Amino acid sequence: MAKLPPIVIDNGTGYTKMGFAGNTDPQFVIPTVIGLPNQSRYGIASKRGIEDLDFHIGDEAVGNSKTYGLNYPIRHGQIDNWDHMERYWEQSIFKYMRCEPEDHYILLTEPPLNAPENREQMAEIFFESFNVQGLYIAVQAVLALAASWTAKNSQQTLTGTVIDSGDGVTHVIPVAEGYVLGSSIKHIPIAGRDITAFVQQLLRDHGETGIPPEDSLDVARRIKEQYSYTCHDMAKEFAKFDADPVKHFQQFDAVNSINQQTYRVDVGYERFLAPEVFFNPELVSSDFLTPLPEIVDNCIQVSPIDTRRGLYSNIVLSGGSTMFKDFGKRLQRDIKRIVDGRVRKSEELSGGRLQAKPIDVSVVAHKKQRHAVWFGGSIMACTDQFYQFSHTKAEYEEHGPSICRHNRVFESLA
Amino acid sequence: MILLEPNSFVLEETLLSRFNSEKQEVVDVTLVDFDNVIYRVQTPNEQRNLLNLSVEMKYFNEVVAYGAEDILRREYGDYLVPAASPQYQITLQFNLDQLPADKAGLAKHVSMLKRNVLASSFIRAFEYWESQQEGAGPLMATHYRDNEAIYVQAQQDRVTVIFSTLFKEEVDRVLGRVFLQEFVDARRQVSIQNAPQVHYSSREPPLEIRHLPGLRQDESVGYVSFVLFPRHFSSAEAREKSISQIQLFRDYLHYHIKCAKAYMHSRMRTRVQEFLKVINRAKPDRTTATSEKRTATGRYFRPQFRQPVSPQPGEGEW
Repeated sequence: MAKLPPIVIDNGTGYTKMGFAGNTDPQFVIPTVIGLPNQSRYGIASKRGIEDLDFHIGDEAVGNSKTYGLNYPIRHGQIDNWDHMERYWEQSIFKYMRCEPEDHYILLTEPPLNAPENREQMAEIFFESFNVQGLYIAVQAVLALAASWTAKNSQQTLTGTVIDSGDGVTHVIPVAEGYVLGSSIKHIPIAGRDITAFVQQLLRDHGETGIPPEDSLDVARRIKEQYSYTCHDMAKEFAKFDADPVKHFQQFDAVNSINQQTYRVDVGYERFLAPEVFFNPELVSSDFLTPLPEIVDNCIQVSPIDTRRGLYSNIVLSGGSTMFKDFGKRLQRDIKRIVDGRVRKSEELSGGRLQAKPIDVSVVAHKKQRHAVWFGGSIMACTDQFYQFSHTKAEYEEHGPSICRHNRVFESLA
Repeated sequence: MILLEPNSFVLEETLLSRFNSEKQEVVDVTLVDFDNVIYRVQTPNEQRNLLNLSVEMKYFNEVVAYGAEDILRREYGDYLVPAASPQYQITLQFNLDQLPADKAGLAKHVSMLKRNVLASSFIRAFEYWESQQEGAGPLMATHYRDNEAIYVQAQQDRVTVIFSTLFKEEVDRVLGRVFLQEFVDARRQVSIQNAPQVHYSSREPPLEIRHLPGLRQDESVGYVSFVLFPRHFSSAEAREKSISQIQLFRDYLHYHIKCAKAYMHSRMRTRVQEFLKVINRAKPDRTTATSEKRTATGRYFRPQFRQPVSPQPGEGEW
């Protein structure tokens, strides 16, 4: 019998992506939220009936938020409440994916620097509650690297710098041959949510009074997604817009969610200012002022010296907030500028005696960027090695959850 | 969620998003349903206005004998492709340019495909009962999973449905047994006395199927039998409902075993938290050992076990 495709579940802080391996897109992208009945604070001992089955997940939980309290089981990428998460998985598998976990292998993801205890907990839940045949827990950054293999200019290595920008936070994660260089990871407190808020503020500033307040955030988000692009130079772009506003200003037709009337919103500078937030963070933040290219450069500079060339030559984008048009090109240019400047300086300091080999900087953008982590997981779970690298139920029963502390991809090194 | 839905949610969503998308893209999606059913939604030969749904169903040849093809023709006649794609048993084709107005309804209807196919032996049994023949009807087996089967047999006054199911784990078997015992107890309540009778036996197959060769008779196998009376299938509405509920029983049982385990885990976690609190309370309080406290008269209070090496100047009087 041919094996059934493995299930790939990527539980993120904001959204959970799940689907069957081998597909190019996740089947479900739903908020990582569980709606529990409001009176559940009486404690666990008061539950005698089937109250533990009375909950919703994802969009249904959001839809029922009047009668169900919303709980977010994942905080900052780490699973915070295992009770909720276990039930979240229960319903994702049986209702959404609709399959019998006993028949499948499962690939889960974890954030970089995840505590091994968390991995053990995951293994306990999946092997004991769900009786899965096999489990593999992959690091999100490594999967994002694997996803970039589909890009044209990709080198198909597991060495590279991953820029993962979702809704809540942006990480820059260097990975050398599949190993996450934990000490060099950088965080940036600017991500999709801040950009949307910034666009919303800009719309307010240039007097778009037609937008009803309850739709304001949604309109800002859609304008951000549909009209934004990354410019070469902010000052020149302003001049360009002012010289010919008719050509550059665009109009966005929106529908009032309550009375269904259409109204028109002018979209101006926010078109290029939204992605500019990454390059000039002073636009939105007063305490965090380092631009993204500088952070990436910093991050690579604090990594081991023998990995740096590889890290520069394979900078991979992942997550929805890296989807702006030409974002990769701008990033590549800015990082290149920093790197070339440093090389030139060191050559000058050596008095012309040393000639450095030029450093190749390349930022890889690809079509699957939005759900890159899931897509990487889907590719990985399709390979034959996946079954060798997974921890099987028999091994779990033999050795216990501690098997998940060890990743068999690095067998020879362990 | 207590009951599982009869239709496949993931198939419904996938089809609906294809039906509703304005741009016709080439797709190739593989999906899975309970009991090793595999769906493949794909665009055939770059013809972007068409969409094929192929279904791989191990037990299809078995249910053909119970009239599954007639059901397919009746339910999905407009879309059914006579020759299924290789290695698939059923293929439906949709023309995206000529879809009916109710796209959501169509997607929902198609997502019931597995349920409708599996319903064939039930419908055959109900028809046998309607024909009022003497004696028991044929015993119809559907091997819906490896080593697991549904047996349906019509009798003059009732229809018996027997499930065999395998428990991979000892814990599951125990939980399954407790869970099924609850069925018997719950039936004593007035509100659900009309529910079908449920019997459970592990190891010993029920009398109806005992004569069959090759039945497993070890600890890991369980047999669940339902006795359906005419009130469960005489009206069309009740009949559809009975079929939907009963054919998912195996998945329902395994789902609830998992839920029960999850529930126990959550109780165990709460208990561990409480124990941890108790243990933490027993820890000696380190802060008092270092900080100095004054008594009511204003003198310093020091714990007994701290022995001064030498009296400090100015505070030697205590």
